[in-house]
Amino acid sequence: MSVLEYVWAGVLAVIAGPAAFEIFGLGVPITVLMVFGGFVIGIVGGATPGLAGPFLMAVSLPILLSIFGFTPDALLPVLGFLVGVMKGATVGGAVPAILFNTPGTPDAMLTTFDGYPMAQKGQAGKALRTAHFASVSGDTFSDIVLFTCAPFLAIAVEAYLGFGEKAALILLSLAFVAAVVGASPMKGMIAAFFGLFVAAIATGEDSYPRLTFETDFLANGVPLITAVLGVLILGEVLYAFEQMWRDRRVEKIKEVQQEGDQRLTWAERKRLFPYISVSALIGTGIGALPGIGSTLAATLGYATGDRMHKGPVKFGDGTPEGVAATEAANSSVSGANLIPVLSLGIPGNVGAVFLILAAESIGGFNPGPGVFRFTTSEVNPELVIAFGLFTAMMLANIMNWIIGGRIMAACGVMSRIPKQVLLPIVLLLTLTAIYVQETDFNAFYFAFAFAILGYLMRKLKVPTLPFVIAFILAGNLETSIRQAFAVSGGDSWFLFKSPLSILFLLIAVGVIIFFSRPKKPAANKAIAAERDS
Amino acid sequence: MKFKMFKGAVAALALVGATSATAENWAPEGPVSVMIAFQAGGGADTMGRLLAQELSERNGWEVIPENVTGRGGAAMAEALLDQPADGLAIGITVSEAFTYNIQAARNPTYALDDFTYLSTITGSQMGIIARADRGWTTLADVAAAAQAGEDISFGAMSQKLADAAYVIGKALDVEFTTVMVKGGRGGLNGVVAKDIDVAWAAGVQTPGIKAGDIFNLVSAEEDALRVSPDAQMLAEYNVPFTFGVKFMVVAPGGMSEDVSMAYQTAIAEVLNDPEGELNKMISRAFAGPVVVQGNDLRAMLDEGYAEAGALLEAASE
Repeated sequence: MSVLEYVWAGVLAVIAGPAAFEIFGLGVPITVLMVFGGFVIGIVGGATPGLAGPFLMAVSLPILLSIFGFTPDALLPVLGFLVGVMKGATVGGAVPAILFNTPGTPDAMLTTFDGYPMAQKGQAGKALRTAHFASVSGDTFSDIVLFTCAPFLAIAVEAYLGFGEKAALILLSLAFVAAVVGASPMKGMIAAFFGLFVAAIATGEDSYPRLTFETDFLANGVPLITAVLGVLILGEVLYAFEQMWRDRRVEKIKEVQQEGDQRLTWAERKRLFPYISVSALIGTGIGALPGIGSTLAATLGYATGDRMHKGPVKFGDGTPEGVAATEAANSSVSGANLIPVLSLGIPGNVGAVFLILAAESIGGFNPGPGVFRFTTSEVNPELVIAFGLFTAMMLANIMNWIIGGRIMAACGVMSRIPKQVLLPIVLLLTLTAIYVQETDFNAFYFAFAFAILGYLMRKLKVPTLPFVIAFILAGNLETSIRQAFAVSGGDSWFLFKSPLSILFLLIAVGVIIFFSRPKKPAANKAIAAERDS
Repeated sequence: MKFKMFKGAVAALALVGATSATAENWAPEGPVSVMIAFQAGGGADTMGRLLAQELSERNGWEVIPENVTGRGGAAMAEALLDQPADGLAIGITVSEAFTYNIQAARNPTYALDDFTYLSTITGSQMGIIARADRGWTTLADVAAAAQAGEDISFGAMSQKLADAAYVIGKALDVEFTTVMVKGGRGGLNGVVAKDIDVAWAAGVQTPGIKAGDIFNLVSAEEDALRVSPDAQMLAEYNVPFTFGVKFMVVAPGGMSEDVSMAYQTAIAEVLNDPEGELNKMISRAFAGPVVVQGNDLRAMLDEGYAEAGALLEAASE
């Protein structure tokens, strides 16, 4: 099969795949339906402060698995749904930020700077339209970069990286995640090493389960999805309960009567274009690096936009350019974040973590360099799935262009759901999701242990993402280190045998040192925002 | 052995006829967990998932596959032993987990007698593979390269095959650098990416061989490989062993006769249906359906156990 035939096969796998039901004799493909469902739920969830994309993906994954099963046919519907959620949540997050000054997703923090003042001036509709237009543009741009870059990067990796270099590259990504996420690289490293340690329980190549104190409880290792949900979601729920109690006397925000022309004209869109394109470039560039979240992209996009801006209304006083610069930057992160996932199998953010978990749980698709093998005589099914995934992402973008704005406008109501109602629902849904996945009561013990771990990490301002990513990558890291050691014939300098792996390791050390230096106050603020996310 | 297998197949078929009445009496009271001892995404994993799917579709049972990987099938064997022998948990693994691995482990966590052996599924197409563009066509070519001073790395997905690489190296009078890889796919990927020179592959190499990218240097089965009938046999290099394995379905020990029979019948039905997905898949990638069940299967494992002991001895010399 030629490259174009693979692309076409991927498109067909989505639009001509199994039909969910028929309308007037025309089958509605299940994958398209799932992308749409995920997209709508993503917007609604993103617009609900306290929910956000990662939570929706985390809870829906085990439920989707139990519905679609574990055959390769399940891959595209499940991945499509998750992609839809990811994209929906990105645009949805702007709604409460603009209307109520409370960002629905951490990425939307900076949208409040200009979006809320606009709403107070009676321009909420215009602000929402600006946010939507900028967000979709940034997202689409970033997806196109992903589609074109990921295959080439993957092929280069496959051709040039041996076992030692792969091990060094994983170490580099872990160093990057540890250094960049959170307030202090040392805390990030503690989290990452702890993740490696937990992943070491009952794994490895020995014929007996290691680190289990010979207990049956630990003999099968730590269940992956339970641990990830426990740290990321349950820990956050516990933390949010505490926050709710602390904030019990904070006043409610009043809504302002909206008036005047809320439309966004083509002339206005044209004026926004320079801001959107610069921010999209920044967001895509940052998104391609593992571990750097969209908050940093939004901060940089906003700061750059501020420098470019010469209009009468300043940034921070409620100007559409401010909203556009932020939203374009944070939205262009999500597509680019999948570049390291698809080319290296290394997740860079929470959304990517769940895509990898989905692929691993279902089987038949192993994100990494092996995917992009353009075999001509035999069909490479993984490549078809990869192009199917791209098609699903493009579909989500098209839906976003057409109806995203309308759904967003209707979601303002979500912000009024009180937290004391929302959080118990989140807790219950997460526990249900864990039980659906494991069907074993022991899973709850693990879940509670990791929930407390996640809570303590948040209290101690230790970032949770390095823990999760290290936990997921630990198996790959151990395998490639063992293999690199074996191939070197038992040389103890096996990691330093090629210039490329030495380079990776030097960059890893450099990244840690660079981010450990004393910071300027402005940078600290951005980092604090990221850490609290 | 070949005749014995045939005999087993015939016996199994006879059982299908004789016991279908009792088989229909038993049905699992709840979801059946199928523990697959292989990495998700590989050929053996696909095989396990297809079996689970067809058992479910044909009998209306709820069957949930999960991957319990690690330590050469030991993780799965232990997890399976934790379950009651009520037919709600079965495992899909490879014969060497009960023959070689038990004897090689320092502190084995399970024994041959701990399990009920239900059925084989298929046999491997075990060969030693290399990239076609290396220009090697036989093991002798590899040995020549090694003797000329080239460092030859040899990917093995289990401890037994690592020992096998050593024993073969001894017969060829060379020393290979053994690299442990994750499943046959790990070895294939390593060979394709030029990270390792040669590797064991149990069937995953078939598409690559057909495409002409990969070459089967030797057959480690008792018979010629289906996809490379001209490949040499290991016996031609004075290696007194074969390294083919059987993929099989096991259950915790002490399973009652009617449950065990119900499974044997159901599995034989799936395997023997030429239109079935599993049948097509194992005919394409592995040795085609191989149905050895009950006592014949146990006898086969006993024989494998003795042979594995001999291999361990040869590998420790």
